[in-house]
Amino acid sequence: MAKEFSYLNFNRNKEYSYIGKSLKRTDILDKVTGRGKFTADLKFSNMLYGKLIRSTEAHARIIKIDTSEAEKLPGVRAIITAKDVPSIKYGLSPARYDETIFCIDKVRYYGDKIGAICAVDEETLYKALKLIKVEYEVLPAVFTPAEAAKEGAPQIFEEYPGNINTEIHLEFGDVEKAKKEAYYIRTDRLQGQRTVHGFIEPHCSIAYWEGKRVTIHSAHQSAHYLQHHIARIFNMKEGDVRVILPYIGAGFGGKLDVSGLDVAAVALSKITGQPVKMFFDLEEVWYNGRARHGMDMKYTTGVTKEGKILFVESEIILDGGAYTGLGVASSYYAGALLTVLYDFDNYRFDAYRYVTNLPPCGAQRGHGQPHPRYAFESHLDHIAEDLGIDPIDIRLLNARRANTVTPNGYEVKAYYLKEANEMARDVSGWKEKKGKLPKGRGIGVGNGGFVTGAGYCMYRTDLPHSIAMIKVYDDGTHAVVYTNAVDIGQGSDTVLTQMAAQAMGYPYEDITICTRDTDLSTLDFGAYASRQTLMAGWAVKRAGEDVKRKILAQAAEMLKVKEDGGYRFGKLTPEELECEEGIVYVKQEPAVNITFAEVARAYFVKHGVLIGRGYYHPGKLGGTHKGAAVGTSPAYSSATQIAEVEVDMETGLTKVVGTWDVHDSGFVVNPQLLHGQVHGAFSMGIGETIWEKVIFDEKGRVLNGNFAEYRLPTALDMPYVESLVVDTFEPNGPWGVKEVGEGATTPTLGCVANAVYDAIGVRISELPLTPEKIWRALKEAEGAKEKGGK
Amino acid sequence: MYLPDFEYFTPNSVEEACRLLSQYGSKAVAIAGGTDILVKMKKEVMAPEVLVSIGHLSELKKIEYVPGKGVVIGAGVTHNEVMNSKILHEKYLSVSEAAHQMANNQVRNLGTIGGNICNAVPSADMPPILIALDTTVKIVGAKGERTMPLENVFKGPNQTVLENDELITEFVIPDGNFTGSTYIKFGLRASGALAVVGVAASVQMEGDIVKDARIVLGAVSPVPVRAKEAENFLRGKKAGEELFAEAGVIASGECRPISDIRGSAEYRRDMVRVFTRRALLKAVNEGHV
Amino acid sequence: MAEFIVDKDGIKRYLVTITVNGIKYTKMVKANSLLVNFLREDLDLTGTKKACEQGDCGACTVLLDGKPVNSCMVLTISVDGREVTTVEGLASNGKLDILQEKFIEHSAPQCGYCAPGILMSAKALLMRNPNPTELEVREAIAGNLCRCTGYVHYVQAILDAAAANQERKDG
Ligand SMILES: Cc1cc2nc3c(=O)[nH]c(=O)nc-3n(C[C@H](O)[C@H](O)[C@H](O)COP(=O)(O)OP(=O)(O)OC[C@H]3O[C@@H](n4cnc5c(N)ncnc54)[C@H](O)[C@@H]3O)c2cc1C
Ligand code: FES
Ligand code: FES
Repeated sequence: MAKEFSYLNFNRNKEYSYIGKSLKRTDILDKVTGRGKFTADLKFSNMLYGKLIRSTEAHARIIKIDTSEAEKLPGVRAIITAKDVPSIKYGLSPARYDETIFCIDKVRYYGDKIGAICAVDEETLYKALKLIKVEYEVLPAVFTPAEAAKEGAPQIFEEYPGNINTEIHLEFGDVEKAKKEAYYIRTDRLQGQRTVHGFIEPHCSIAYWEGKRVTIHSAHQSAHYLQHHIARIFNMKEGDVRVILPYIGAGFGGKLDVSGLDVAAVALSKITGQPVKMFFDLEEVWYNGRARHGMDMKYTTGVTKEGKILFVESEIILDGGAYTGLGVASSYYAGALLTVLYDFDNYRFDAYRYVTNLPPCGAQRGHGQPHPRYAFESHLDHIAEDLGIDPIDIRLLNARRANTVTPNGYEVKAYYLKEANEMARDVSGWKEKKGKLPKGRGIGVGNGGFVTGAGYCMYRTDLPHSIAMIKVYDDGTHAVVYTNAVDIGQGSDTVLTQMAAQAMGYPYEDITICTRDTDLSTLDFGAYASRQTLMAGWAVKRAGEDVKRKILAQAAEMLKVKEDGGYRFGKLTPEELECEEGIVYVKQEPAVNITFAEVARAYFVKHGVLIGRGYYHPGKLGGTHKGAAVGTSPAYSSATQIAEVEVDMETGLTKVVGTWDVHDSGFVVNPQLLHGQVHGAFSMGIGETIWEKVIFDEKGRVLNGNFAEYRLPTALDMPYVESLVVDTFEPNGPWGVKEVGEGATTPTLGCVANAVYDAIGVRISELPLTPEKIWRALKEAEGAKEKGGK
Repeated sequence: MYLPDFEYFTPNSVEEACRLLSQYGSKAVAIAGGTDILVKMKKEVMAPEVLVSIGHLSELKKIEYVPGKGVVIGAGVTHNEVMNSKILHEKYLSVSEAAHQMANNQVRNLGTIGGNICNAVPSADMPPILIALDTTVKIVGAKGERTMPLENVFKGPNQTVLENDELITEFVIPDGNFTGSTYIKFGLRASGALAVVGVAASVQMEGDIVKDARIVLGAVSPVPVRAKEAENFLRGKKAGEELFAEAGVIASGECRPISDIRGSAEYRRDMVRVFTRRALLKAVNEGHV
Repeated sequence: MAEFIVDKDGIKRYLVTITVNGIKYTKMVKANSLLVNFLREDLDLTGTKKACEQGDCGACTVLLDGKPVNSCMVLTISVDGREVTTVEGLASNGKLDILQEKFIEHSAPQCGYCAPGILMSAKALLMRNPNPTELEVREAIAGNLCRCTGYVHYVQAILDAAAANQERKDG
């Protein structure tokens, strides 16, 4: 048998000039001086201000929209509704394009888009908005999957009978057979809540027309998808749509859908002939939705006596909200990646995504993962407890290993979850703490991970996933990297520039990056599925190497080695040369060298502009079953988190005291940025575990669409964090990279929930673990004990 | 969000402010730090046609100790000024600490103690501790002035006994016999969270006997309430954890909480029990912390 | 009392003089003008951000007479005659403030939407307390929500800036 090839400790002795280093962010000066422009900071002459007209009913037929009073208000420029715009359906999952620009006949949630209005200034706009009257015939509404599933429940869409939007039934291996072999079988059911992304910058979109072309500036995560969908919706050529993304105040999945703002800005600016800026007030971000689905998750797992998993059966019910968006993918993702984490052969996954009369759900950091991870990691802890096994030991036993294939067809190369568990265990003092902490204090572990880029484009196409180009200035003193990878804060501009510098052998300080503009830069699918470091990274690396190839060829013609130089006399070949940090030299005779700039200038004189090109396509991945494409990826990250918490046993208030967070993210291009991702992911994760939940009233109105009652963790809530990496190398990634951005959130919910369980001895089966829920659970446990005692 | 149009006056004195308020009647409202009123206007809960600024008036900005009278705090003093006041640190750190537990640093630089009282929301953080220290307020109106215990100022959520043309100008924490006091706020996040419950306690100890006590509960009734039965229960008894636990039980029976998105009535009631005990213990053991 | 003119529509416009980043601006504003909008729209100082508009997030933090406040909660007219510092006023003569330098060194901001607000809160902290503890730093920026960073690098950068300040003084 061939020896297993290990990608562990691969980078230990490697020293690169520009990668593996915490170089300064390319955008940092803009961000610390306030000079950097976000979409809302832009102004165009003659610009109008617009807002969406939103439904004030959760489910209703539109009888009449009376805009006459608003139109009379001086300064109002245009009011549009469904009749004024194309009626084409759109979305992000091609199988379920079900959203129209504005509601036709029917509204499906409180906040649904009925129309749009623009005026000369914000004040007029707000005043006019209040004058618009919509008459409804109210229909009965459903607000939970349970209500949606009831017989005779109101139907939200004709095309989704029973309100089922997506239904999945998959089986791999033979679950029934494994059931017979299992030593121990346990079932747990847990619930994850609906959250919001919580980025601070609300969406904003500005559009203007020049002849047949439209330009859109938007707070969006993908220039390409926005361009593609705008072109499709307005029946235009993609080339006639220019998308420019200014700085983006983070996205976490919430700025990936085409928002009503983008579409309305395009439509209104067409009608008025003026630039139109559409914007959300913060509360509207909640109505726009597209965040984490509420999920009801049931897991049944059978194990051997030692705790080896033999089979898993999972059934997940998703609250989808009113439209599909990315919901089909969310549903598949909810089940897809469990098999990556743990190595077992028999797996059944059933899922039902219901539409409800609430804002639509979609992708939020770790798309589809955090809730199922929370549920399964909790479930796994119970199995370990029942069998008397340490929670880390059961994870070590079941962790998938490198160079394996999952039962649902994913090829996993570098994968060091086991090592991550061991490292987290050792640095956290797990052995000294687990089972030994006083009541009210607890420690817990959770595993997670994610795809490093989706294997397939969201719509069917043969386009490459990423293209990069590098242009060197005429005199060789500067270079520009072109790619439409989107930096939403995670730092892709920096990392890609570092990669370009490394690949070219050219100083990082002399490179700028030109991104987020479909006219000026080159195709990339954008910021989602944690894809850019690997995918755009490949394209940039190849573009850099292309430049270098040309430089070395040119240099070979220019460099001469003296006879007495001890090497040899005569013409050099490019293979004998190397280029590093802007100097081209003879490998065997480094004293013989010339600057990159000189060579580049000579190249320019002879050939014209010096350009490097790079291309990336992941090729065909995955199995053949229905939905096999979701979850495919060139590489999978893994992570282990351990957290320690302190629970006030009287009030139920949880304080997270510390976390030890270990990631197997392949080669790390910029450690500081990687740790930044881990810190941010952890803070989002504890927020979602302890505080965050979107609350609605009986009309489907959001009750906490603000940062006062939807509580993100503050600086005072963040615990001590120790972020570490396992040194690994991913053969499918440029220089061995994998993702960290999304995967880092996936273990937290389970990890903190397990720590709380350890602290209080009672499992709360529904997120978030608010003080009141903990208080109630403790009281009930106390009550049960007393009853039992009597 | 936007603010509807209104007229704005910057009077030179409290007297002028009251005159303006009286002149414009129900159309006019005073604005101090604006942290309550501007939010309400943005949310369209109210739309005053006239705002009369009082936040800038220096006569409302003092904190001083007047022997024989007590600590006088001007209504226009901001929460951070309360929090950082040397006089309060010496006399009643508990008041500074209550201010510290409010909102966040930026809001504390704007919001005033007067605004916090006059806005009269049940969850407000300053009323409980001030009532626990028997604070009185001076009210000045177009027709004259009056003084009353702070406890009597509140009528209901967002309602006080103040007439339209009246302003609170100062708070007086009288020299009293309390030996210790504290305010504990229970919020759902370390910063920037409104109280689920807030409990203030002050005690007058003689040796280890509780001679007198005040327990004031916030966020669990339409107005801040004193747990008078619990106070009576404590009087003359020997301090101790068990006694205070019992007082907590009694206090939890005295509040009238509602259920809202921050917590159920049942939970709030039990939290009153917990925090009454904790507050009493702290007030006894640590003085005016 | 600010002088005013009455518009044709019967609305008053008040004459205010406000010093922003050391420069005196005299402008006509309506009473309902909020400082955040005055800075962003009237003065084009868009470094100050706007998000929640209710005092909860701190993105709009500026210094008013040296103290950090939420500019979304301040009426422009109430600032007449006073001094405002925004993120644009931190650097002087092309030289970055030590906080900015340390933010760069630590890659503290990610998306950066919260960064101007955090800088202003931190600036105010160091002006009043040159040698803060970690808890004091966390307190000072607790009114500035950041979804990207978990505040870890921000806290380190601010502590580092304080230390560098001390060194400079001592040195
Ligand atoms: C983000 C945020 C967080 C907050 N957190 C808290 C918190 O944790 N705890 C808490 O208790 N509050 C909190 N608040 C509410 C608010 O900050 C306080 O209530 C503050 O003290 C109000 O003072 P102000 O000067 O800003 O009031 P303003 O808004 O100026 O006035 C409020 C009301 O009081 C009236 N008024 C003001 N002063 C007087 C006076 N002297 N005489 C008569 N009437 C007067 C006004 O007419 C108005 O009706 C928070 C607010 C925000 C925006
Ligand atoms: S925008 Fe001012 S505090 Fe959020
Ligand atoms: S860096 Fe994105 S919100 Fe703070």
